[in-house]
Amino acid sequence: MKKVIATLLTASMLAAMTAGAATAVSADEPIELDVIICQYGPNTNDWFLGSGMDGTNFVDKFEEENPDIKLNLDVVSWNDVYTEVDTRIANDNAPDILNIDVFANYANEGLLLPVSDYCPEDLYEDFFPSFIEQSVIDDTVWAVPDLASARALFCNADIFEEVGIDYPTTWSELEDCCQAIIDYYDGEIYPWGIDMTTDEGQAAFAYYTWGNGGGFVDEDGNWAVNSPENVEGIEFALGLIDSGFTNPNPATQTRYDLQDMFAAGKLAMVIAPNQLPTYVADKEGDINMVTVNIPANDGKESSSVGVMDRVMAFKDDSAPDQDARNEAIGKFLKFFYDPENYVGWVSMEGFLPAVNSAVESLVEADPTFEAWLDVLGGCQFYPTAKAEWDQVKQGVIAAEQNALTGSSIQDELDALQAELEG
Amino acid sequence: MNPLNHKKPWMPYMWLLPSIILISVFVVFPIVIVFKLSFSEISKAGVVGGFVGLKNYTDAVNLPAFGTVMKNTFIWVVSVVGLSTLFGFIIAIVLNQKFPGRKIVRSVLIFPWATSLVIQASVWNYIIKYEYGSLNAVLLNLGIIREAINWRSTYQIEFIWECACGIFVTIPFVAFCVLAGLQSIDESLYESATVDGAGFWKKLFHITLPLVRPALSVSTVLNIIYVFNSFPIIFTMTKGAPANKTDTMITFLYMLSFYDRKKGPANALSVIGFLILCLCAGIYMVTVMRKEEEA
Repeated sequence: MKKVIATLLTASMLAAMTAGAATAVSADEPIELDVIICQYGPNTNDWFLGSGMDGTNFVDKFEEENPDIKLNLDVVSWNDVYTEVDTRIANDNAPDILNIDVFANYANEGLLLPVSDYCPEDLYEDFFPSFIEQSVIDDTVWAVPDLASARALFCNADIFEEVGIDYPTTWSELEDCCQAIIDYYDGEIYPWGIDMTTDEGQAAFAYYTWGNGGGFVDEDGNWAVNSPENVEGIEFALGLIDSGFTNPNPATQTRYDLQDMFAAGKLAMVIAPNQLPTYVADKEGDINMVTVNIPANDGKESSSVGVMDRVMAFKDDSAPDQDARNEAIGKFLKFFYDPENYVGWVSMEGFLPAVNSAVESLVEADPTFEAWLDVLGGCQFYPTAKAEWDQVKQGVIAAEQNALTGSSIQDELDALQAELEG
Repeated sequence: MNPLNHKKPWMPYMWLLPSIILISVFVVFPIVIVFKLSFSEISKAGVVGGFVGLKNYTDAVNLPAFGTVMKNTFIWVVSVVGLSTLFGFIIAIVLNQKFPGRKIVRSVLIFPWATSLVIQASVWNYIIKYEYGSLNAVLLNLGIIREAINWRSTYQIEFIWECACGIFVTIPFVAFCVLAGLQSIDESLYESATVDGAGFWKKLFHITLPLVRPALSVSTVLNIIYVFNSFPIIFTMTKGAPANKTDTMITFLYMLSFYDRKKGPANALSVIGFLILCLCAGIYMVTVMRKEEEA
């Protein structure tokens, strides 16, 4: 009996010692953060994981400065990121930090941490307030912006000079320009580019409805996809296609196809983001381009389209020390938005910044940034904070594509509105 | 029986064990999970909730695009499998003849099948592109056409191009399956038939086809499965646009899950597709085996 008791005591002491040792080890172990970053361009991976950050990379530099935090960072292409994140959520393995465009579904399902839980106050104050407002649901901020881009109309100046016309500011002027270009080049050059593909059909919806005083939502923020202004706006776009003023296959020709045509001098006007000059240069295009406001209907105000991506943090109830985890996420953000790192990243990717502290350095490096920041200030954004955004986005694309094959856009948008209200 | 197996009757199972484990983990387990998910509520963010009965199935069937997608899937499978089998069979018969350069032709034939489908579909996209497509360029340079033709002017034509691409990449697989079957046919059968006065068609229908039927059966069943499940061609060429009018079931359920975020109905469609495939393969196998038994 004594032997049994002695054995049990020894075993329990050993177990206690092992447990103590384990605790001691875990206290010294760094906090691990799973991070997913979207691939914005060919250099994203190199900057975060390779040697694109002056011979080193973001992860190594961060871990060197923060030895108590280990980053498991993946750069995932935009094509795969939704699949990857959804699969991880379904398997109860959501990333700690996610960089993506949408956030409402995650916030509405209680998966996200409020920004106030982890974002240092000085950093929070640094974000453009109009950007922060885009990530608010029920008075809580659920994500912070990481970058933005603004859309404007790019015109091939040489074509306009050759034809002898001015840049259009209204829809009627636009139609006149298109007709003049068609007449002059005998249809060899497309005057106007339209992308109603699955990729960006929602942007086309925004261009023509915002330019006609309509939009996705009404003044109270309720869905109003079938408003008369919207129907008229999309009918105008469809009219441009029917008149032969545009690229021939708007349902399958993406913005990148249009940008390629523009770079090749085959397209006279295209609505594109501020990175278009870089894109054209990469394609070895030699286009003398001019940027103007997106034309609006006569008597209506022009509106640019702003696109913004975000960084958000997921809850992890299994984390042993929530405060330490939140602090680690805060350190990640602080390091990322540090002008020393952030300016290089934004310039490399060719986007517009989301924080005030980066503006001066960026404008110094590229004076054209200032004009784009002005454009960004007057931009409208997609209503991504609304839970039904995915449905609306796909719905307006389907409505446009059905209209391209002969359906009535009024009927299509009425059906979508009824679905949203039902 | 092998004396070794007689002493250790569990031995064959040990050899089979790695395959059984792999199939269980990578095939059976995902199938079970998809069945389970198809009866579960799944949020837009992917969080799996409770049992919802047949709701996902009724939601999937009631989608406006469901009928079009089913019709497209049928046309896609029948045209690609049917025509690739026909052309593959003809090519296999040609390749079974002795002619100079036969080995080179056989090697070249495998390229379309060995190349990634995404690359194949992208190349087809460039060929038929209106603005800079090589098809228009060649026809213009040869003086066959006076101005570029929009080869993708309607969604029906776009779908025909997708089917053509599918047929092109599938022909080599059929040709090599049939070629393997043709090479196993004893030459003396043809010689005897020739002596008896049989012509090309008689030899084809009374010797070649009956003896090559097992190879054709295997290639057809595998083809039905591959083609039904084929995703890259349609996704690369049109992404199902406009408005799902060129989607097949596989691309549609992907769009449903990851673009529309209707994950429940997408899982239900996966199960429906799986059952359709099981049914098709089952009917085909039973019919073929019965005919073989009768023969």
